[in-house]
Amino acid sequence: MTRLRDGRAELALHELGSGAGPTLLCLHALYGAGSDFRDLAAAWPGRVLALDFPGHGHSPRSFGGSYTPENLVANADVALAHASEAQLVGAGLGAYVALLLAGARPDRIGGALLLPGRGLAGGGAEPKRAEPEGMSHARFDVLLQGITADADPDPMLENCDRDIRPPDYARAHADSARLLLLAEDDAERPPWWHAVREADCAEVAPADPEAALARLAAS
Amino acid sequence: MSPDEVHYPGAVPPARTRFVRSLGLRLHVCEWGDPDGEPVLLTHGFYDHARSFDLLAPLLAERYRVVAMDARGHGDSDRPDAYAWFPGLIDVVNMLRDLGRPAHVVGHSWGGGQATDAATLHPGSVRKLVNMDGFGPPEEGFHVPGRDRDERPAPGQLAGWLDWRVANHSRETFRPCATLEELAERRRQQNPRLSSEWLRYFAAHGSYHTPEGWVWKVDPMAARNIGPFRPEWIAPGWARLRAPMLALVGSEPDTWGPLPEPMLARRLSHVPKVERGVIPGAGHFMHIEQPEAVARIVLDWLEAG
Repeated sequence: MTRLRDGRAELALHELGSGAGPTLLCLHALYGAGSDFRDLAAAWPGRVLALDFPGHGHSPRSFGGSYTPENLVANADVALAHASEAQLVGAGLGAYVALLLAGARPDRIGGALLLPGRGLAGGGAEPKRAEPEGMSHARFDVLLQGITADADPDPMLENCDRDIRPPDYARAHADSARLLLLAEDDAERPPWWHAVREADCAEVAPADPEAALARLAAS
Repeated sequence: MSPDEVHYPGAVPPARTRFVRSLGLRLHVCEWGDPDGEPVLLTHGFYDHARSFDLLAPLLAERYRVVAMDARGHGDSDRPDAYAWFPGLIDVVNMLRDLGRPAHVVGHSWGGGQATDAATLHPGSVRKLVNMDGFGPPEEGFHVPGRDRDERPAPGQLAGWLDWRVANHSRETFRPCATLEELAERRRQQNPRLSSEWLRYFAAHGSYHTPEGWVWKVDPMAARNIGPFRPEWIAPGWARLRAPMLALVGSEPDTWGPLPEPMLARRLSHVPKVERGVIPGAGHFMHIEQPEAVARIVLDWLEAG
């Protein structure tokens, strides 16, 4: 395990595999960990790096509780710099982070395989305006007690599940990426995923995981 | 010259200072007035600090216990690993809970927006809310003289932000100045309505000296935040606001506000109970340009019904 620094944050990066092929950087789902990709790593022909996002696995929680997809993108960008170039695989929240990073760093990311998982949808396409009340004292107390007691996982992480994910923002990143492989199944996908499907660089990922990785490795 | 030797007419340093914990951070708090009085919480603007209330707080303190917090990453409060809008709201609510009973809240600019959203998030903690020109940026963003807007598509902006972080994320300070006067004058370029004398006072109490020179007590990272934020998302949530709002703007056009009237009226139309007020002869920093006028309208409104 390697320790990386992103400003004041400390990040754990795991090496799950090695080989002569391209580097694969793995971004886990909400409440997951880098080690979730251990099985997948066995099928990759090159080096496999897996990041623990703050508050997950072996990475300390984010001091002050500011978890947003963009802040996680910054964490992943530090891991990318460590690898210099990589292909990405992301699950759930990690898939959304992989999409943004693949759009921002097309010069260093050949492609990204997006898998479903926890935190995929976020808070939807726009703010929920129907909530009749703010946060109740009871819910707030639960949140704060969890935070002060160092509850695991960090209660502030649930905000990643409330982040607004506008489809046109996702689409703009998709349009800037080189290759996006979308893992499809019968489960409903969030609005941003539907928008990404329409991008020129988007393909349906082969259903067989090894075939999907082979397609990504060839990009 | 030490900061304590820099004075300004009418400015009163806090009677007491302490820290309140929120989300693991220590937040610095300044207090004026009777410690047992009814509390009023003050939340400052972006890149400001609690001492920006040294003119308004003593006037409100004749009637209230006045409590001004340094926002995270600002003043003498702790700097978090990263920034986002929502945790700042939790900080405001934690401050209110620390006061032990529902309080009035007076927020300026970014702090006014935070106070408004915090009151929406946790309605039971806020009695009445005064928002001083903190109604969010115009839909096309603020136009700041000398600063070009980033017109790149979203991925390019994200890449720019990432590059800036890589270059700066180890920095604890930002653009040092050789003297306090230089620091104050540089600020004047963005706040041209504020006097050199005030800015020198503001700088003296909101900066510290490093081997490289004088720097603001603000985290360079706090100034750069990114995400798919849309100004049109700001106001609809205010429909949940239970506290009555006094919405104040200055009469004079200024860099950071007020919004064009139709846009402001549209945003405020979401607030269930709102009254409007205009401070004559003041711009965005009404509490610094016209502290007596602001104190009068705020005290009258807090006392009424």
